[in-house]
Amino acid sequence: MTISATRRALLGGAAAAATLPFLRIPGARAATPGLLTFGLSSYPPSIQPWANTGTAAATVKLMIYRGLVSYAPDGSLRPELAESWTLENPTTWVFKLRDATFQNGDKVTSADVKWSLDQIAAERSTAYFRAQIQGLDRIETPDDKTVRIVTKEPVVTLPIWMASYHMPIISRNSPRGQFIGAGPFILKAQERGVSLDLEAFSGYYKPGLPKLKGIRINAYGDENLRVAALHSGDVDLIEYVPWQSMDGIIANPGLKLDAVDGAFMFLVFNGTRPPFNDHRVRKAVAHAIKREDLVKAAFFGRGSPLTQLPIPPGSTFYNAEYKDGWNYDPDLSKRLLAEAGFANGVTASMLSTAQYGMHKDTAEVVQQHLAAVGINVELNMPDWATRVAIGNRGQYDIAVMGTAADSNDPEGLASLLDGTLSPSYVRSYGLKVDRITELLGKGRAEFDETKRRAIYREMEGVAIEQAPLVGLTWRSQGYAMRSAVTGFKNMPGALTFYSGLTFETTEVA
Amino acid sequence: MLAYAARRLLVSLALVWVVATLVFMVIHIIPGDPAELLLAQGGVAPDPWLVTDLREKLGLDQPLMTQYWTYLGGLAQGNFGYSLLDDHSVADEIVLRLPRTLELVGAAALIALLVGLPLGVLAALRAGEMLDRVLSSLAALALSVPVFVVGTLIILVLAQNLRLIPAGGYVALAKDPLRHLGLLLMPAITIAVGLGAVVLRVTRASVLEVLERDHVRAAQARGVSVAAIIRRHVVRNALTPVVTVVALHLGALLGGTVLVEFVFNWPGVSGYLVRSVESRDYPEVMGIVLVISALFVLLNFVVDLLYAVIDPRVRHG
Repeated sequence: MTISATRRALLGGAAAAATLPFLRIPGARAATPGLLTFGLSSYPPSIQPWANTGTAAATVKLMIYRGLVSYAPDGSLRPELAESWTLENPTTWVFKLRDATFQNGDKVTSADVKWSLDQIAAERSTAYFRAQIQGLDRIETPDDKTVRIVTKEPVVTLPIWMASYHMPIISRNSPRGQFIGAGPFILKAQERGVSLDLEAFSGYYKPGLPKLKGIRINAYGDENLRVAALHSGDVDLIEYVPWQSMDGIIANPGLKLDAVDGAFMFLVFNGTRPPFNDHRVRKAVAHAIKREDLVKAAFFGRGSPLTQLPIPPGSTFYNAEYKDGWNYDPDLSKRLLAEAGFANGVTASMLSTAQYGMHKDTAEVVQQHLAAVGINVELNMPDWATRVAIGNRGQYDIAVMGTAADSNDPEGLASLLDGTLSPSYVRSYGLKVDRITELLGKGRAEFDETKRRAIYREMEGVAIEQAPLVGLTWRSQGYAMRSAVTGFKNMPGALTFYSGLTFETTEVA
Repeated sequence: MLAYAARRLLVSLALVWVVATLVFMVIHIIPGDPAELLLAQGGVAPDPWLVTDLREKLGLDQPLMTQYWTYLGGLAQGNFGYSLLDDHSVADEIVLRLPRTLELVGAAALIALLVGLPLGVLAALRAGEMLDRVLSSLAALALSVPVFVVGTLIILVLAQNLRLIPAGGYVALAKDPLRHLGLLLMPAITIAVGLGAVVLRVTRASVLEVLERDHVRAAQARGVSVAAIIRRHVVRNALTPVVTVVALHLGALLGGTVLVEFVFNWPGVSGYLVRSVESRDYPEVMGIVLVISALFVLLNFVVDLLYAVIDPRVRHG
């Protein structure tokens, strides 16, 4: 049977739909003067000042806390809570404090510095620098404004430690479970998993700073949503711009992109068993990969080939002579394999993770290039947590990794290159190159800049030959913002994750 | 009746216990160590003794059975434990997030019914005609497109191009009701697209079936107006299967809105579960799965009781 129905309902629906474009939701655009809305890539798991809880947390830490030393926008070390530091003798550094105030109104004194370092070294501490600070000989506070740090061995990079975002100075009068810092912004409110609200600290020691009245941080885990939020005007600034979206941001006249080659991708090996316990096989891997293909496939062309150690070209420690140390040369790869006794090819397992696109894509491209020279790898791509566990236990032959160095100083590469350190997924498993360990030790204790450069040049030469890791690509690390945002800067090289320091000079019109 | 209810309650509690035990075992068996992960954020290497220390601090160095009994003991006292990441109370977090997911699912169901029901009736009334074919094709399309595609398209068109609504996020209802509803709209529509298609199809089939029944013909023969026949005799009778299907889907959505919550930054319980699994935050994973399964079991328990009320044979069977 058929029953004819009226069209009234349908017409009503159509009329309702037609009004949709007029129903603009208020607040869809970010527009409060002096208040910056920042789209963070994930909600920080915790904002514990001295623990490493990821780069999202680090960015927030740089808003709230300050250490003795920090970095200028050009990447050079600059005085922060310490107005100066000097080397009294090879094992003694002296820091002179300036007049600065904590967010609870207390003066920053040498006692606070000592207390903070003591907390870092405490027995139950989860601080990133716990081992280093525990290894200090003693910390002296001759007066309120002077801190004398005595080390057991000469440590040329101690000021770099003090510049780390894991080394902020906290008021010793902080209530239990709270951490009062001396940074430009005060954490006012947070909704776990959603947002954080920060307000300018009027007592910040730098006159005229911060320029913003406040910062609202919204966590956008989905990269496409983060970009959409910027395009639609929901946020003023975003971090971790996905590579595929960079062109779209450049094309939008209301937006600007600030990207640097900061982090990098590389391969690590299991040095405890064949075939990668043989440096010739590792070197064969290094020469088998056409990095340009990787940059295109995994990073949409937003990056550059890395055919030597990951020391940025702008650094004084950059060695141009090793620029093509691991150049693409499949014939050389085959020769090296034959020399090592693998003329008929090699079969191995390669660890990566399917959780992050860049790790997955990199693994797939590397797999193809290796197959072309006779190294057949079977991919193992579990979730990130499993990948970390497998990596730490050395249950792989070759693995894809991505990270940024601790600093632009070559000492920042020690955790990736020094095979005598405890097993970790970030470096090759059980792969010790004695000469590299020796040279890293020498470089750490050498105060003469020229001699240090020579030491690290030699180290890079050894690394190119021995390939304890194999560089793949630099990857572009981008911040994008509305044109109205000024004063924010993406810091160079490994310091890209320190860009949060420049929130103090950021303005939004 | 009382004995029957008691019996069902016991079975439900046993089910919850089985789920709790299964989840506990599975999450501890899969590889990945929360202490290691917690210290390895940002791609740096934690010292192994730091990991050992943290494992001890979190009680992860205890034998598995000891951890299991401690956990069950806590549960018996209504204590879901604390996040391994930041000591935050798991129960507090669930109380905060579960209503948001329920709200999202509820809004989606409302939209799906408002759109799917009338269109389903219309398609049935015009069965075989052009309109029916168009609606049925649209429903098939809506069903086959994955939610993340719908979600991303909606963001692209409504937020990025037309700038009608914010591109996702969350504001508490009490803080800004209008903005809250605006933010709710996109994820709710995204879920409603698939659900609405289901409603449309079921309604169409059900109405077609009822239209053939004798009482409809009789009403027609009596000269009852077309509108009254549809309203009183057809739709009302056709609703039962629709309600059943929607209820089934809502149950599945409770823990299944992960993608939508992620794409729209909606801080509900599903996204929370995924993040907890990623960071191997054992107490959080167990707490959430337990609450969701308890809700399922509770729903079944209520349905069982209703059956018994309606049909006395169930009680004695």
